[in-house]
Order: sequence, then C-alpha cells, then structure tokens
Amino acid sequence: MDIAAGLLHGFAVALQPANLLWCFVGVFLGTIVGIMPGLGPPATIAMLLPLTAQMNPAGAMIMLAGIYYGAKYGGSTTSILLNVPGESASVVTCLDGYQLARKGRAGAALGIAAIASFIAGTVGVLGLMLVAPPLARFALAFSSPEYFALMALGLAMVVLLAGRSLVKALLAMLVGLWLAGIGTDPFSTTSRFTFGRMELLSGIDFVVVAIGVFALGEVLANMEAREEPLALPVPRGLRNLLPTAKDLRDCRFAFLNGSVIGFLIGVLPGAGSTIASFISYGVEKAFSRRRDEFGTGVIEGVAAPEGANNSETGGALVPLLTLGIPGSGTTAILLAALVLWGFKPGPLFISENPQLFWGLVASMYIGNVLLLILNLPLVPLFAQVLRAPAYTLYPAIIGLSIVGVYSASGSLFDLALLTGFGLLGYLMRKLDYPSAPLILGLVLGGAMERALRQSLMMSEGSLAILVSRPLAAAMLSLALLILLVPLFTRLNAWRLQAMEEEK
Amino acid sequence: MFRRSPDFWSGLALIALGVYIVTATRGWDYLSSEGPGPAFFPRWYGIAMIVLATGLMLFSAKSAAGDWRGVARALGAWTAIAVGVVLMKLVGFALGFAVLSYFIVAVMYRRPPLQSALVAGGVVAAFYLIFALALGVPLP
Amino acid sequence: MKTVLMALALALAGASAHAFKPTRPIEVVVHTGPGGGSDLLARAVATMIEKEKLLPVRMQVVNKTGGGSAVAAAYLAEKGGEQNTIGFFTGVWLTSPLTSAEAKVTLRDLTPIARLVLEPALIAVRADAPYKTLGDFIGAAKQNPGQLKQSGGSVTSRDNVVRQLLQKTTGARWAFISFPGGGERIAALLGGHVNMMVIEPAEAGEHIRAGNMRVLAQVSDQRLPGFPNVPTLKEAGFDVPAVPQVRGVVAPPGIPADNVAYWEDVFRRLTRTASWRKFLQDNQFEDGYQNAAELAKFYDDFTERMRAILQEAGIKIVR
Repeated sequence: MDIAAGLLHGFAVALQPANLLWCFVGVFLGTIVGIMPGLGPPATIAMLLPLTAQMNPAGAMIMLAGIYYGAKYGGSTTSILLNVPGESASVVTCLDGYQLARKGRAGAALGIAAIASFIAGTVGVLGLMLVAPPLARFALAFSSPEYFALMALGLAMVVLLAGRSLVKALLAMLVGLWLAGIGTDPFSTTSRFTFGRMELLSGIDFVVVAIGVFALGEVLANMEAREEPLALPVPRGLRNLLPTAKDLRDCRFAFLNGSVIGFLIGVLPGAGSTIASFISYGVEKAFSRRRDEFGTGVIEGVAAPEGANNSETGGALVPLLTLGIPGSGTTAILLAALVLWGFKPGPLFISENPQLFWGLVASMYIGNVLLLILNLPLVPLFAQVLRAPAYTLYPAIIGLSIVGVYSASGSLFDLALLTGFGLLGYLMRKLDYPSAPLILGLVLGGAMERALRQSLMMSEGSLAILVSRPLAAAMLSLALLILLVPLFTRLNAWRLQAMEEEK
Repeated sequence: MFRRSPDFWSGLALIALGVYIVTATRGWDYLSSEGPGPAFFPRWYGIAMIVLATGLMLFSAKSAAGDWRGVARALGAWTAIAVGVVLMKLVGFALGFAVLSYFIVAVMYRRPPLQSALVAGGVVAAFYLIFALALGVPLP
Repeated sequence: MKTVLMALALALAGASAHAFKPTRPIEVVVHTGPGGGSDLLARAVATMIEKEKLLPVRMQVVNKTGGGSAVAAAYLAEKGGEQNTIGFFTGVWLTSPLTSAEAKVTLRDLTPIARLVLEPALIAVRADAPYKTLGDFIGAAKQNPGQLKQSGGSVTSRDNVVRQLLQKTTGARWAFISFPGGGERIAALLGGHVNMMVIEPAEAGEHIRAGNMRVLAQVSDQRLPGFPNVPTLKEAGFDVPAVPQVRGVVAPPGIPADNVAYWEDVFRRLTRTASWRKFLQDNQFEDGYQNAAELAKFYDDFTERMRAILQEAGIKIVR
C-alpha cells in the first residue's frame, strides 16, 4: 500500500469517534503518568492490558501508544518546576529547565518543552511513516562495536558538560560508572560491589539516583537559608508565562537536532531515550553560540532534550513494527499486547495489517496535536505551583520523591538508597561537582561495558574490531575529537597567557 | 585542619573509593577465556579515579571556611529525612511523613506549631488522596 | 449400622478438612516488573481463573523485582504461614541460588505447588547461513573452534546450558555472547553479528515466516505442532537432554496441608480448561503440569544436573 493511500486510510480509521476517544484517553493518562515520578508507561500499560483484551485492537493500540508518547510530554513538568525528573529521559531537562524556573521563566520553559515535543513527535511519526523499513535494515547493521562507540561518544559529552572543572566532571562520571557496575555481571554471574545485600544484585535503579541527587540534593541545599518566603520566583507577565518569539527563534536548531537525533537513536534497539536526550543536549551545546551558559538556564537546553525524548518514541516503534523487535521496556509490552490481541509482529506485520499500522500512524499525528492543545494552556496553571510557600513546597517535593521511588520498586531499601543519594547530591553541590556527568556515567556505564565485552567476544579479544568497522570507527573518531578540542583550546589559552606574561 | 580546601578532602575521599574499587577487583577475573572478565572495567576506572583524585588534591588551593551554620542546617534536614524514612518503615507513610513535614516546617522554617501541624497534616492528606486513593499507588 | 455411621462421620470430617477458602484477594508475587515474562503470565492466569470461576476472590499481581528472583523469593519466605499468597517461579528461581551467594531462598525453602509449563526452544540461524542442519553448524564449529558465535542471555540461562551440553557431547567449541534483551539477541542474529541463537518459538515465528531465519533443531522432547518438519535434538543425532525452561507456582513456607491441597486443586483444574489449552497453543508452550510432590522431585533432579553443568562451564557454584 503506498504511502498516500495508506495515510488516507489511516486517517479514516483514526478519526472514527471511538478511536478519537481512545486517543484522548491515552494521551491524557500518559501526561499524568509522565508527571508522576516513578510511575512510568510500562507499569501503566501493563496494568491496562487485561482491559484492552475486550477492546477493538486498533482503538487499544491507539490508546496505549498515546500513553507512551504522552508520558514524554508530562515528564518535563516536574523536571522544570521541581527539579524532580518525572521520567528517566527527563533528567537532562532538569539541568536547564529548573534553572529557567529559578529565573522566573518557568512558563517559557514548560511551553518550549511542549512545542519541542510536538515538533519532534511529529518528525518521529513522519520518520516512522516514510523511512521505517530501510532504516530498520540499517539498524541491524548496528551491533556491539557501534554501540560501544555510541556510548563513548555519549561519555565524551562529559567534556562538553564539564562546566568549570573538567577534573571534577570526570570524577563524577567515574563514580557514575562505578554505580552502574554494582550488581550481577551477566557474563560471569559474579556479584560486584553488592556488599552481600541481595537488593543490590540487580544494580541500583536509575530513578533512585536521579531523584535523590537532583531533587533531594536541591531541597537540602535550600535548607541552608534561614527564611525564604517563596521557593522560586513566580513568573509574572505574559512574557514569562509562555515562550516568546525570540525563544522560538533561538531554538530553531534545537528543534531540528532533538527531532533527528532522538529518532535515529530510538531506532537502535537497546539505546534509550535517556541517551538520546543527553546526546542531543551535548550536540546543542557544542553548536550553540551561548555554550558556556548551558546549565544556567538556556532555553535551547530544554528544547533539544525534550524534543529528543519525544521523537525517540517514533523511532522505537520502527524496529517493533517492521521487525517485531522491541527496543525498550515500553515497546516490549506493546509487543506483548499485540501478541495478546492475536497479531504477530514481525517483518510481515505492516503488509498484512495495513489498517492497524496506518491507523496508528495517523493517530500519532492526532495525538501530538491533542497533547499540544492539552499542555500549552496548562502551562500558566502549572507555573502557579511555584506560588506555594517554601515550607509547603519542600515537604511536598520530599514526599513526591519518596512516593515516586517507592511506587517504582516497592522497596524500603530503595528509600534508604534515595536518602543516601540525597546526601550525595547535597555534598556534590557544596563541593562544586557537576551532577550531570554522574547521571551520564550511570546511564551509559552498564551499556558501555556490555558493548565492549560483547565486541571483544565477537572479535576473540582483538580490539581492532572497534576501528575496523566504518560506523564504529567514525563515531570513535568523533568522540576523540570532542575530547581533544577543548584540550587544544585550553592549551592555546595557556600559551597565549604565557606569552602575555612574558611581555 | 580546616585550612585545607574542600577539594582536598573530596579528592582524598575519591582516592579512597578508587583504592577500594581496585582492591575489590582483585578477587575477580581480569581476562577470562571468553573475553574480558568482571574485573576489567572496574579496575580501569578505579585507577583513573585514583589518578584524577590525586591530581585534584595536589592542585587544590587553600581556601577559607564556608558557611558552617548553613551546612549544619542542611545536614539537620537530611537527618530528619533519614529518620523519617526509618519511621515510615515502622509506622507507615502517614505518620512518618507527617512527623518529617512537621519537623521541616516547624524547625527549619520556624513557623508556629499550629501552622506547622496544619501544613504537615494537609500535605499528608493530599498525598493520601492523590496517590493512594485516586491512583492506587502503594505507599510505604 | 455403626460402621456406616462411622464412615459417614469420617467422610464429613475429611470434607471439612478441605476447609480452606480464600477470603481476601490473593497476592500473586512475581519477580519481574510490569510487562515482564512472569508478570504477563500471572496476569494471564488471573484472567483465566476469573473467567473459569476457579476462585471466589480475585488475584492481585505484586511485583517484587530485584536480584533476578532473589527479592521475590525472600519476600515469599518472609511470609511464612500466610495462606492467601502465592508466587510464580521460573527457571531463574532454581538456578540463581546456585550461583549467587545473596540469593538465599531456594524452592525447597518455600512450598512447591505445581509446575505449569515447559517452554521449548528452537535453534535458529539466519536464512542465508550455510548451515542446513544442526550437524552442519557443529561441523563448522569443529573446524573453526571458538570462532562461531551464539547470542543469548546470561551464562546461567538455558541458552548457555544447551550450548554447554552440545559442546560436551560433540567436542565442538563456539563463543557465547550475552545480551540482556531478547530484542538485541535477535537483532544480533539478523544483522549477521552472531551465527546462531536459541530462540523461543513465539519470538521466532514471524521471522521464519518472513524468510529471515531458518530453524535447525528444536530443544524439546517431541516435535512442536508449529514445527512438524524440524528434528528434535535427539532426532538430529545429539544425545543431549532437552533442557526445559519451567514456570510454575509456589507458596510461602509453613502453610497447612489443606491450603496446599486447595492450591493444587485450583491449578490442576486450570490446566484442564479450554482457556488454558488455548493459552498454551497461542504461546507455543508445552503442558508441563506436575503436582506438588512431583515438582519437589523435579526440583531436586534439576538442581543436581544444573550444578554439574554449570560447574563444567566454569561458573562458580556457591551452594
């Protein structure tokens, strides 16, 4: 079925009143789920699965997909307002988003997040529609050496995220790598750094660390001041309640960057939206004229990662629908749902079920529009949350963190870990260690180690495999370049300074 | 002793961590028959940690003392959270969190007791309503 | 007359000993998160039980993730004597106490109830690979020791166990590369980065239909209905036991006999229903029903065999 015909057919399916209703329900639920830290799309979709067994499959799929990408919209809300990442992919949004809120521009940040999400989400659907099958074949060429190179590229971003002290950023990253290594090594079943506790056997959940270091760390830092009538300045005037035209112009590149990078990374099975948002943030920073201001509240720093984590959903659906390979936790459940309804996701899925595929694609367009309509007007409303006095807001943040972590794992041990990481977050703040590299190390550490060991197993111990394959070599060279460029500029600066002093 | 900068101490702590990591890797295989073993990665980043942290320590400037009162307040708040979590394990979310909230409002922000109690109660009630009842999310 | 009365009295007493009836929602413990294998199975079973009205109350799935199965098993062990709780176990519950010092709770520490399914597997290669039979692959592996590669789960998973057994009986050697996710394993095979994998029929079905994969043999005792032309390991000439991946039901320790009997009864009746048969068929599982006593014996045999196999594979056994 060719694309135009397919799309028309799809809209015919998606615009049926019942399916429109399911779309709305899905995106609405998704937004709420995204806002709540700890509660994520996988859990929600799994809980709703038995209900969907009675529904018409097209409607059910539309709703579940709505939850999936809707959650990405909602995740930015608590990240920006409270520095609590609503979802693992929203961690990067905390970096600049929260700083914007501190400057009184919460509304603008929230608005840009919604707009970037819309643009990227649409690009993601376009990609799914136009290039899915050939891209899927390309994705298969990606294997462990390329993943390793991709992760190395991500870690090289640390240099870009470094801020003032490169050494401290690297140390934070190394601690993140260590935290990632806690648990059972799958290749040999050796337990590493588990201190004999079985709760640590499968490692430390990323959410616990992120919420602890970001949210609790921030709360503790704020406890230092004696009295603070309002936690954050409330945005006043329309200028700060919504993004301005200047903001939109500044973010032109970010919109593109987030959409493309998010989609491409989403296509790779196993690479997630967190990696996508980090890399898109790093790229944005590398190409921005205001690169030194990143981390202090730069609007592009919100647009890029938010866009990336939305187009990633479109990308993640590519391997699912074209090959039947789930690329992430949520797509794995969607796969199970499809199987439950009697479908067989695989290479023949699209050609055998055109109405489901095109109906889904069309509904994703509609869903993105619905989400924009839902989220934009709510922005000024959400920004008013900041009116709450500090002594109500901070206990609320603490409570939200605790409930968020507990709801994800049901474990009191995780709460203890949360408390510990809260202390770590506070200490890092005091000692001037940037927290983004820690999170980056944690997210990438496990995947990078696995990819390296898998690659070496594939090549029977020869490191050459990493450079003999073109894609891997290209990415590694890029990573090396990113690492060396600041070194050169610094050396240059020293040289110039030395010359000055000699005069 | 306090004339050393905070960088010195954090550097020292990280060296200790690095040493711990490298020692722990002694028990594991570095290279097994099927490729690099579990010790491979940790040993390298442990060593990197030691090197960088030493560098940090050596280059750390001497600096003045900080706002110790503020730090004490923050650490006090942290202790409250820790105690609160333990309490939650013993008596459940509602009581534990209520005590914690009360502490923060009353002690940290010096609000009158009645107001603190109201706020603490209100926050707990809100959480219960939103999470436990409306969303069915388990509370500790 | 007296004897008749006595017999009646005893019969009544016996009937009332079967007195356990659940009065509140049953807690069903699984070790995966929402959407994981065990979670989906538990929810499917709950739906079927409700449909066939086998329980007077509903079942509530509780996810206790962590350490593979360790946290869920420990949770059940702590609930000793609790009559309204059960758990679903899989192979990982059996093997992880062998290799992990922290996984302290074995199936014997809990109350076995029933074994429900056996998951068979297929040995698959990419469709354009030069191997038409398993013998071809083994032959190629013998000629190039250590150079062929298999993608699979962790080293204690069934994928690797099959490999260890085959390597031992044939003397061939090939590499095993762990990928944490099923999707990545399949991607590795389809992308040509590995040569072979052990895959579940449900996962493989579509790829075979599309012509991307070829199945060399099946890891099961009898041919599966979906694959009538594929030889089993034994038929292909390899004297290797078909290592099953099992799933079943356990309960906390220290529960009374009538409680155990009740659970046994519920699950026995479940396996006789039409919904269950359809479930097995849809998922391509084998009916592996065993009652509590048989399960206990199976557990002992299985762990003995596993211990030997894993030790030979060079994996450290701690228990």
